[in-house]
Amino acid sequence: MLDPRRAQRYRRHDLIDWFSQEQVSAARVAVIGAGAVGNEVVKNLALLGCGTIDVFDFDTVELHNLTRSVLLRESDAGRNKAEAVAERARELDPHVTVRAVPGDFWDTLALGRLQQYDCAVAAVDNFEARLRLNQLCLIARVNLVNTGLDSRWAAVESFPFAATADAACYECTLPGSAYARIAERYSCGGLRRRALIERRIPTTAITASVAGALAASAALRLGGDEEPRARRRLIDTLGGAGSASDIERRAGCPGCSPYARPPQVVHIRNRWATWHTGKGLDLESVAAQPVQLSDALITGYECADCGPLEEAAQYVGRRAAGFDDGITTCPRCAAPAVRVEIRDAFTVGELMERFGASRVPARFALAAIDGRTVCFNLEEE
Amino acid sequence: MSSIMTQSLKLYVRTADQTRRAELDLDAGSTGADIIQAAVDNWALPADTDYTLVNTTTGRALAPGEDLSKGVRPGDTLEVQPVLVAG
Repeated sequence: MLDPRRAQRYRRHDLIDWFSQEQVSAARVAVIGAGAVGNEVVKNLALLGCGTIDVFDFDTVELHNLTRSVLLRESDAGRNKAEAVAERARELDPHVTVRAVPGDFWDTLALGRLQQYDCAVAAVDNFEARLRLNQLCLIARVNLVNTGLDSRWAAVESFPFAATADAACYECTLPGSAYARIAERYSCGGLRRRALIERRIPTTAITASVAGALAASAALRLGGDEEPRARRRLIDTLGGAGSASDIERRAGCPGCSPYARPPQVVHIRNRWATWHTGKGLDLESVAAQPVQLSDALITGYECADCGPLEEAAQYVGRRAAGFDDGITTCPRCAAPAVRVEIRDAFTVGELMERFGASRVPARFALAAIDGRTVCFNLEEE
Repeated sequence: MSSIMTQSLKLYVRTADQTRRAELDLDAGSTGADIIQAAVDNWALPADTDYTLVNTTTGRALAPGEDLSKGVRPGDTLEVQPVLVAG
């Protein structure tokens, strides 16, 4: 039961026969990205009285964001977007819990936390973030709503991972050209390219508001008694035409095929020298178990001309994504001759040997055990 | 060299804004990716955008490597839709 003041606020919603204020007020939604679409999604969720909204973003507000971001003001320039958006959303409805989570969601959205949400909304601006959130939601079995837009079109895709194990995922219809575009951004299999010029895609408040409205509705599953299935909606904001299509699971999809059976999530201590303590495991057979880490790591750093470098200690054992291809220039001879070895596939024994009592800089490790994917969650001590 | 004969399908292909439309006879072994590439080339669609294919007759999105023998029938309309990245 809502308190009287809150019930008064939502009185008009109560007149809608397909709308349950009680369900909406109990909903917990993570909004990843507080840009144009993120603003609209948070605004709609807050106005509808969604129970809990957590806003994730690492970026800061710039003046050019203000033409598309309903919750931001000029005075917010320089502030973290998630914090500014959360603050304004709380003003819309003080009964709604809105929390800001500054930082890259890959570092701040733990699997255990994600499992507490009813839905995660991807309001991000690049393929890599969408692939990562798709993977996290597949592992955590949390519904995912993806959004995208340009200056004319708005798209919203819903993936009901919590409702059905058979739902298609974001990658089931992702074309090969998208993977090629991602690959262009990296060299040596994981270092960001410094010389890459980021493509700027113009958007407007119109496309952002259409995408944000559809996304909020999908996140709350408003009017949603229909059979849960992955769906894509594309709206032409110039003429209002739109289409809805079903997305079916693709055999061999790189995103969801490892999770055809719901993965088992095992929380382990991220200290490989001692993680097995007290588990009564046969260490010899466990050490040979292949695992794939969530993050590619630098495992070798050597100049083709000068040989081993003492600077290797700064890089080896760390996430490749934290560096750009500038590190392939040899600090000794200044030639672009450093061979950087990057891997995400190891055996348990290798991790024990390489990291010992240190923390592995990855979120989780995946292993295929007895035909099922097991996710060893490393982030929670 | 041996060749495998596959059935031909008469289909309609269009862009999402419906400014471009063609009636095509396609080999049933053609994939969604083949059709998208042909649309980008022939209709000079922006090459810096990615596309996906939707069968608007059945309301079903086609997987990129999927051939037309599955889930596409003569007379169906396939729509080339942009994969939108901005947020």
